[in-house]
Amino acid sequence: MKVLILSKEFRDGEGVSEYCKNISEYMIEKGHSVTILSFDDGSYYSVNEEVDVRRVPVPFEGDNVYNWSMILNNELKRQAAELSEEFDVIHANDWTTVPGGVTLSKHFNKPLLLTIHSTENQRGFNETHSEMISELEWQGVYDADKILVTNEDSKNSVLFDLDSPDEKTEVIDPYTANWRKRILKNYQNLIKQKKAPVNQT
Amino acid sequence: MRPLFITWEYPPIKAGGIAAHCEDLATTMADQGHDPIVLTYGPEEETEYRDGVEIHRVPSTDSAENTLSWAMHLGHQIEKKAIELYKNKKFDMVHAHDWMTVSAATGIKNTLRLPMVFTVHSTQKGRDGIDSQYQRTIHNLEWYGTYEADQVITVGREFCQEVKHTFDVPDEKLSYIPNGVNLEKFDQHSAKFNKSEYALDWEEIILFVGRMYPQKGPGHLIEAMPSIIDQNPHAKFIMCGSGATEHYKKIAKNRVGEKVHFPGYVSDENLLSLMKNAKMTVAPSVYEPFGIVPLEAAACETATVGSYVGGMKDTIIHEYTGLHSYPEDSGSISHQVNRALEDPGWTEWLGDNARNRVEDNFRWEQISAWTTGVYKKAVEA
Repeated sequence: MKVLILSKEFRDGEGVSEYCKNISEYMIEKGHSVTILSFDDGSYYSVNEEVDVRRVPVPFEGDNVYNWSMILNNELKRQAAELSEEFDVIHANDWTTVPGGVTLSKHFNKPLLLTIHSTENQRGFNETHSEMISELEWQGVYDADKILVTNEDSKNSVLFDLDSPDEKTEVIDPYTANWRKRILKNYQNLIKQKKAPVNQT
Repeated sequence: MRPLFITWEYPPIKAGGIAAHCEDLATTMADQGHDPIVLTYGPEEETEYRDGVEIHRVPSTDSAENTLSWAMHLGHQIEKKAIELYKNKKFDMVHAHDWMTVSAATGIKNTLRLPMVFTVHSTQKGRDGIDSQYQRTIHNLEWYGTYEADQVITVGREFCQEVKHTFDVPDEKLSYIPNGVNLEKFDQHSAKFNKSEYALDWEEIILFVGRMYPQKGPGHLIEAMPSIIDQNPHAKFIMCGSGATEHYKKIAKNRVGEKVHFPGYVSDENLLSLMKNAKMTVAPSVYEPFGIVPLEAAACETATVGSYVGGMKDTIIHEYTGLHSYPEDSGSISHQVNRALEDPGWTEWLGDNARNRVEDNFRWEQISAWTTGVYKKAVEA
C-alpha cells in the first residue's frame, strides 16, 4: 500500500515528526511505501531513505499560524495532486493539516486517518484563534474516517469537546508495544472499508 | 466555457461592488451560451438557479477574530464544496475575485489542477495601506493570488499598472477589462420619486454615493459645500452610503446645516431614482481603481464631477461626459460643481454624452466576451 502522511513540520527531535518517522520506517520495513509532505523550514531531518519526503516552501507570510496554515495546506495539496492517485490512505496530523487531508481525501476518494496529538482545549484555548482552531479540529474529526489519539486524556477531549463517535476513536500510545502494527492495521481496515461500495453517493 | 466563480458576496448578499460585478458578468456569460457556476458565502448551505446561473452557497464561521481569518475559514468550506461539485460537473477553470477568495481558489486550483483567473478589484495598499501585520498579510494574499493565477484581470487602466508593479506580474498574464453597466436595469426602473423626502421643491440635488471612508473622499466634498452654496443657494447635497456616516454627518451639519442630508442606507430602487433626478453626482475619491458611480450615473443620463484618479480618468471625459476635479482639492471640487450648476443646459448635454458613451463602451456583452477571451488564454496556457 501507499501511504500519504501530512505533517506541519518534519524535523529531527520534534514530537509529531518523530511519530511520523517511526510509522513510515515501520511501513517501509513491511514492504509498503510512504510519502511525507510537510513544510520546509530548512531544518535537518534523517529518515530511512526509502521514505519519500517532500518538504514544501510556503511563499507567504501570515499574521498568525492559523492563516499561515491554510496557505501551507494549499501547497501540500499541490504536491499531493502531482502524485495524483498513487496513494491508498491519507494520514493527517493535528488541525494544521486538516484542510489538506480532508480536501485530498474527498477529491481522490481515499480514506483519511487523523491523529490528534492534542486538542486546542488541552493546550489551554488561549490563542487569538483558539475558537477557529477548535472548530477546524471539530470539522477534521467529523470529516475523517478514523481518529487516533496517543493517550486517554486526548481521547476524552476528542470525544467530549470535538464530538467524535466512540467507535471511530482509538488510543494508540506510541510508548506501547506493537503500536505501529496497530496503525498499519488501521490503514488496512480503512482501505478495505473504502473499497466496499457502501455509503457511496 | 464553464468557469467556477469564487466570490465572497453574490446578490442578494452585497456589501461592496464585487457582488454586482459577479452577478452581471455571470448572467451575461450565461446569455452568451457559457455555463458559469458561482460558489459563494451564505448563512446556510443552499443551491439556487437564477438567470441561467447555478449558485451554491456555503456558510463560514461565527468565531473568526477578523475578516482575514473568516475568509480563510470560508476558503476551506468553499474548496470542499467545489470538490463535491466537480465530481458531477467538471469546470474548466476557477475565477476568483479579490483577496478574500485567494485561499479557496488556490486550494481548488492545486487539488483539481485547474487553471486559475484572478480579478483584482482593488489592493490593500491602495485601500488603507500595508503598515500593520494584518494589512501585510492581506497584501501577501493578494500577491499570492496574482502569483498563482494563470491570468490576472484588473478593472482599471492605470490600476493595471499599479497591480503590475506592486505584485511583479508579468505582462503576458495581465489584462485590463473595465467594469460594465447593466443598462436594462436602469431603463426598466420606474419607481416613483418623492423629492420631498430629500429636498425642497426649488433645490437641486447633488448626489454622493459611496462608503463613507477617506478613500472615497466625502470629507473633501463636505469642505467644498459652503462655497458651492454661497454661489448656488439652490444646491442640496444628498450623501448616500454606509460607513463612518455619523462622523461625516456631524462635520457636514456643522458647516451647512439643512443643506446636506444623509439618508443612510438607500435601496437600489431609491438610489436609481436619486441618480435620475440629481443634477449631477460627485465622486471625490482619493483612490479609485475603477469607480462604478460615474458609469451608473451616466446610465441615468447624469453627469459626474469626479477626481482625476485611477479609473475615473477613463470613465469621465472632462467637459464631454462630466468634469474632473483635482484629487483631495475641495477648491477644485467647488469650482467644477459651480460651473455645472451655473450652466444647466451644458450639464444636461454632458449627461446625455455620458449615457451614449456607456452604451458604446461599457456593456457587459463586450466585457463578458473579453473575459472569456482571457479564460481561453488561461486554459490553453
